Amino acid sequence: MKFSYSWLCDHLETDKNATEIGDALTNLGLELESLTDYSSYSKFVVATIKDFHKHPNADRLNICTVDDGTKTYQVICGANNVKKGLKGIFAKDGMYIPGTQIYLKKGKIRGEISEGMLLSERELNLSDDHDGIIELSDNFENGTSAIDALKLNDPVFEIGITPNRGDCLGVRGVARDLSAKGIGKLKPLKYEKITKLDFESPISWNIENDNNSCEYVVSRYFKDVKNTASPEWLQKKLISLGLRPINALVDITNFITHDLGRPLHVFDADKVGKKLHMRLAKPNEKILALDNKEYTLDSNSTVIADNNNALAIAGIIGGESSGCTEDTKNVFLEVAIFEKDSVAKTGRTLGINSDARYRFERGLDKKMVIEGLNYASYLINKICGGSVSKNIDSGKLDTNERKIKYKFDYFEKVIGIKLEPKKQLNILKDLKFQINQSTEKECDLLIPSWRNDIENNIDVVEEVIRIYGYENITESIPSPSDDEIVKINNSLINKKFKAIKKLKKILISNGLSEIITFSFHSTKAHEILSGDKSLKISNAISDDQSFMRNSMIFNHLETAEMNYKKGYKNIQIFEIGPIYNTSQSQENILSMLISSQENTNSIFKSEDLNFYSISNLVYKLISSLNFDAKQFNISRSTSNTFHPGQSAELNMGKKLIARYGKVHPLIIEEFPKLKNSYAIELFFENLPIDFISRTNSSNILDSQFQFSEKDFSFVFEKEQNLFEVQRYVNGIDKNLIKNVEFFDLYESKDLGENSKSVTFRVTIQSKDKTLDEKDLEQIHNNILEKVSNKFKANIRA
Amino acid sequence: MDIKKVLNEATKQIERCSSQQELQNVKVAYLGKKGKITELLKSLKDLSLEEKKSTGAKLNSLRTDIDDLFKNKFNSLKVKEINSKLKNEFLDISFPPPNLIPSKVHPISKTFDEVISIFGSMGYSVAEGPDIETDYYNFSALNIPENHPAREMQDTFYIDDTDKDNKPYVLRTHTSPVQIRTLLNEKPPVKIIAPGRTYRCDSDSTHSPMFHQVEGLFINESTNMGDLKGTLIEFCKQYFNVQNLKVRFRPSYFPFTEPSAEMDIAYEIVNNKIHLGTGDLWLEILGCGMVNPTVLENCNVDTNIYQGFAFGMGLDRITMLKYGLTDIRSFFSGNLNWIANNGFSIGDY
Repeated sequence: MKFSYSWLCDHLETDKNATEIGDALTNLGLELESLTDYSSYSKFVVATIKDFHKHPNADRLNICTVDDGTKTYQVICGANNVKKGLKGIFAKDGMYIPGTQIYLKKGKIRGEISEGMLLSERELNLSDDHDGIIELSDNFENGTSAIDALKLNDPVFEIGITPNRGDCLGVRGVARDLSAKGIGKLKPLKYEKITKLDFESPISWNIENDNNSCEYVVSRYFKDVKNTASPEWLQKKLISLGLRPINALVDITNFITHDLGRPLHVFDADKVGKKLHMRLAKPNEKILALDNKEYTLDSNSTVIADNNNALAIAGIIGGESSGCTEDTKNVFLEVAIFEKDSVAKTGRTLGINSDARYRFERGLDKKMVIEGLNYASYLINKICGGSVSKNIDSGKLDTNERKIKYKFDYFEKVIGIKLEPKKQLNILKDLKFQINQSTEKECDLLIPSWRNDIENNIDVVEEVIRIYGYENITESIPSPSDDEIVKINNSLINKKFKAIKKLKKILISNGLSEIITFSFHSTKAHEILSGDKSLKISNAISDDQSFMRNSMIFNHLETAEMNYKKGYKNIQIFEIGPIYNTSQSQENILSMLISSQENTNSIFKSEDLNFYSISNLVYKLISSLNFDAKQFNISRSTSNTFHPGQSAELNMGKKLIARYGKVHPLIIEEFPKLKNSYAIELFFENLPIDFISRTNSSNILDSQFQFSEKDFSFVFEKEQNLFEVQRYVNGIDKNLIKNVEFFDLYESKDLGENSKSVTFRVTIQSKDKTLDEKDLEQIHNNILEKVSNKFKANIRA
Repeated sequence: MDIKKVLNEATKQIERCSSQQELQNVKVAYLGKKGKITELLKSLKDLSLEEKKSTGAKLNSLRTDIDDLFKNKFNSLKVKEINSKLKNEFLDISFPPPNLIPSKVHPISKTFDEVISIFGSMGYSVAEGPDIETDYYNFSALNIPENHPAREMQDTFYIDDTDKDNKPYVLRTHTSPVQIRTLLNEKPPVKIIAPGRTYRCDSDSTHSPMFHQVEGLFINESTNMGDLKGTLIEFCKQYFNVQNLKVRFRPSYFPFTEPSAEMDIAYEIVNNKIHLGTGDLWLEILGCGMVNPTVLENCNVDTNIYQGFAFGMGLDRITMLKYGLTDIRSFFSGNLNWIANNGFSIGDY
């Protein structure tokens, strides 16, 4: 909300300056967002162009002789409105120009000396107008300060009002809050009540019973008014808010909206019927509003209507057809209480953000209905003349004050400092609470009519500390308890974050960079990866962010492509973050993309990028998390993200642990520069977290006796899962077989289409003795026989 | 027999050798089975006992001396030979390094880590909740009913799918729903922080449709607003590494806390850079307050016994302030140059 210092002083008697008031506002919870204070502009003065001639070296420039009342200066000026006798605002050498944020420096412009500058509005930060220098209309004497000449002696505050403080959406409410803080005294509202209400309003009200959205409405009819331009004081007030003065009647309603926080509306009485209704809109009922837009209403919205047409959207905006113009002769003023939810809902549905809606949906001071009616009547009558009718109303205005029993010691319990009941009561009195009864322990409070936000004890505590000052709360740091430390140490989520940190360290030491991409997918990614429809964002900002991602790979390919365009041919990136399977299922995973498009350095050769190098990285990662990849089940990945023949999945029981391999060529079609790209997805949340962070290693005793190694070659069926073979061989004799390492794979026509030859080395060692030839032969034969039987494999020489 | 003469002769011959093979031949000639020394030793058997003793000792000493000469010569020949071989094995050690992008963790990771660790030292464990939330957890349970103007303070993304209340799912606009989830699952005392992704439909240099927040919640029988102030000041001192930190708490409004506050940190501009902790300008750093009893009641917590505070702050924001970064959008751009310049290498993480 915006208001000027002088406007505030209409309501508040204070000796505080604008800066002090700004600080107080912030301390009250009415955060000062900006204070436009022009006091530094006193150095700029009125000056006259006494003479000018063309600059010899520049067509567009003029050399002006400028008089600031004490001296004349030579000024080079490029403005197109330079003329003899023009009075403008002058800045001298060394002065700071706020609009351009530079200090003026005397110097030559195209060879001619310039000793100052005549300013435009933009150079003074007054507007965006840079179409020539300021031309003062009044005849100020040279040397008059810019503050006086441009009437800038009124600082403007802009404050942020939180949704609970509807009472401060008028300057008077702000003044009232400041007075409670001791920043001055609230002045009584100054106007004369009109007593001569000598005729009945020809227009009457009917609140229909089919909704509760209007509690009460009251009106007056103004006969024979003369609607003109508003007086200067009123125009100036509206301009200070950034509002455009329209005509007196409209300006008065706008003024009262901002002065008292009380929205009201004026109808041109000759453009509406004799009976006005508060009713629900008919389905698809249309209204052309004052903003010149046509709105189609639904039956949840309340309208003000005559017997024929909707005339206004209740509490939000008036209709164009019944608005007041300069020709208006008779006026019907409406002041109502609308239900806030109803206004909020209609306003949101129609997308109208009006000053009226803003105030209605935050709740109004019901006692301000009559006050607003009287104040508006006074102003209309004073400015536009004519005569005023008696009140005509409908509904019942419930102005019963709300009561609350407040316990003083609740303050200390919540805030942590002691404040005597007497001091608390004084603050509440300053806030205009009425104290009905008070003991040492508690009191009965009547809540001020404008504080709809106060309902219970905690609200009162907040009011007391707000005025007493947050700076007076004594700080303390609660020390952690043993229970808390134990809880942290046992927390699976804490352990998971430790594991994540560990993973990140491993990844960056392997040359991968961490990125964070949006949790979104483009429509295109969604279609290509066929994600769940329930992941669509209904109000997406752009097509690129219209779904929740079910994989990070597409985002990472986009990232890789963007970096490729910056010259990075080899990209290794990872992200740890969420993917979404449906709107109710989210997994945090590690996703990596390694893309290598160039390997030209013949000296520093990097490892070849292929399925096996990627697998190796997966095995390393899994081992760093204290798991052995060999214990998982491996199978070909069925994900359509990956190349079907060069990708794999590791599972632990039914839980997916990792999925990795070459990115599917159909996806790469979208990223033609990234042909050689591999991805890894590690579903670390599916691993038992407790193991990931275990600290004590298992006790494997080193044997003292000699070991023996033996290589075996078998011909298996092509699709034989070698993880199974390895596990099987390991299990043939758990005491003696220490290690089984596969090291060769060979396929050829000689072996047959459906076969592969595989070689592995078995390390044999006993804990108890050195094995002799016989022992070894026995175990070798055992392996040969069992493997060939189990897997229908042929032994190769 | 002139032992000295034999030694002199052997020394000369050993000296003359220029290869290990040559030396080996000389060694055989002296110390081999039929070598000179061996022969001399054999001839001892013809001597008298007394002569055996004296000549034997001399001969043994001669053998040791010659053996040492051979060993030394072998060593020096070996070093010479290897050295001459090494001359052919010199590589170009000045070949310049390949252009690698330094691999780093994202600055947000560093912040996550520090936040978890600082609050961990104060007794806070980490809690989590999903990004796709129900209307109830994100709003209603937090005392933000439908049509409440506070809903408009947060531009919400909606998901094209409805929950069991027939309300569309939302992308959580803050981490506060984790308060509700935790309080419904655990009995007080509760002392948690919940860092994570949050979403609002807004995009410019200070707003990103996705950003990070951390939520804090501390509920027990007596935690008060003084504890809230102390805790948050301590956090900021540690996180920003500023001991004399000028801060201010000012009244604000959040439906889920009461009294509510916003915390500002003082700053000044020194040499065109933001200097935190001193000065007359203020930067908003976080929102906080005492948990509104309505919220506790929504989670079946007895408000006659329990009370406490909650806070929420933007992790991207505090990261930007600490490291002087200006555009939040660059956090999520995936630009490897940016990560290399602003991220943390393994030693710093």
